[in-house]
Amino acid sequence: MTLSGLAALFASLFAPGTSDPPSAAVPFSEQPIIRVVLLSGLAAIGYLVFLRRNRLPFHIVTVFVLLAAAAAAVLFPGATDDVAHYVGVGRGVDLITYIFEAAVLFVLIHYYTKFVELQRQLTDVTRELAILRAEVDRVSPPPPPPLP
Amino acid sequence: MVSRETYVVIAAFNEASVIRGVVGEVVAHGYPVIVVDDGSRDDTAAKARIAGVTVVRHAINLGQGAALQTGIDYALRRGAREIVTYDADGQHSVEDIPELVAALATHDIALGSRFLGKAIVGASQRRRLLLRAATTLSNRMSGLRLSDAHCGLRAFRATAAPALRLTQDRMAHASELLRKIRTSGLRVVEVPVTVKYTAHSVRKGQGALQAIRILFDYFFRMS
Repeated sequence: MTLSGLAALFASLFAPGTSDPPSAAVPFSEQPIIRVVLLSGLAAIGYLVFLRRNRLPFHIVTVFVLLAAAAAAVLFPGATDDVAHYVGVGRGVDLITYIFEAAVLFVLIHYYTKFVELQRQLTDVTRELAILRAEVDRVSPPPPPPLP
Repeated sequence: MVSRETYVVIAAFNEASVIRGVVGEVVAHGYPVIVVDDGSRDDTAAKARIAGVTVVRHAINLGQGAALQTGIDYALRRGAREIVTYDADGQHSVEDIPELVAALATHDIALGSRFLGKAIVGASQRRRLLLRAATTLSNRMSGLRLSDAHCGLRAFRATAAPALRLTQDRMAHASELLRKIRTSGLRVVEVPVTVKYTAHSVRKGQGALQAIRILFDYFFRMS
């Protein structure tokens, strides 16, 4: 799709009927509420990521590419069907569900691995601290507890 | 003759009611004792602190495996030649320790076994069956041929300690130990010991339901 074609498509969303809309485009006026909700959500995510821009540029760019893809899917719901057909999936909704499931699993495993690693580090620190304190107490014993 | 280089490591969690008696018995036999208080919420550490005992205290509760490894690390720092692990709940008999340590003359690690002739005092039929099942499963998993799966009373040489390092913080450390014995090729022997099942030790012990959690830890929590 050329840039001018994209611009025409975008324009057609807000002024249906002024140009010949491709089959993928559903006029904005037909589903305004859900689109505003979804686009606002994506914008909020983008803003939060923008606030945390001390991360690697690669992460930021990746997130914005994903957000752009999500926004495109909101604006052109029909386009997801085309992509789905291209990769051999019946409907765009199904394709998005599959991608979502894979992504959730990935995130889950990623954080579980991190969690286990964190726990291992916590064990090491706690052990080190316990041994250190026992050694300190051995060299200079703490005063006896006050009598009741 | 008891060696001052045979350290007895006792991992304790909320054992304030019994720890002094258990520790006192071991100290009376002349062994230096290291009690690892695994972040108890009661005064286990204070109760354990008698002459001849070093208390090492975890700031937070990590689990029995982590506590044992901390005690083992500390015993090695203190120059241990042999290390004995001993349960804090009073189920073991201190008279069994010399036999375990004697077995180290020809082996790297000696495991206490409840099923080699000596008595199991106070165990229900249900518990015996559970232990039998655990032993069968454990042998299949570890590839060892043992008569008892997981008895808390063990002794090993300090030189074997690096190969037996426990990374399972909670209860799966027992299976982890057997696997490491198997893969490291250490010489292992079983020594009959007496286990006393008191109401207290059974309450603190592991049941059939905990086995599920232990298996989960064993298979999925390898870092």
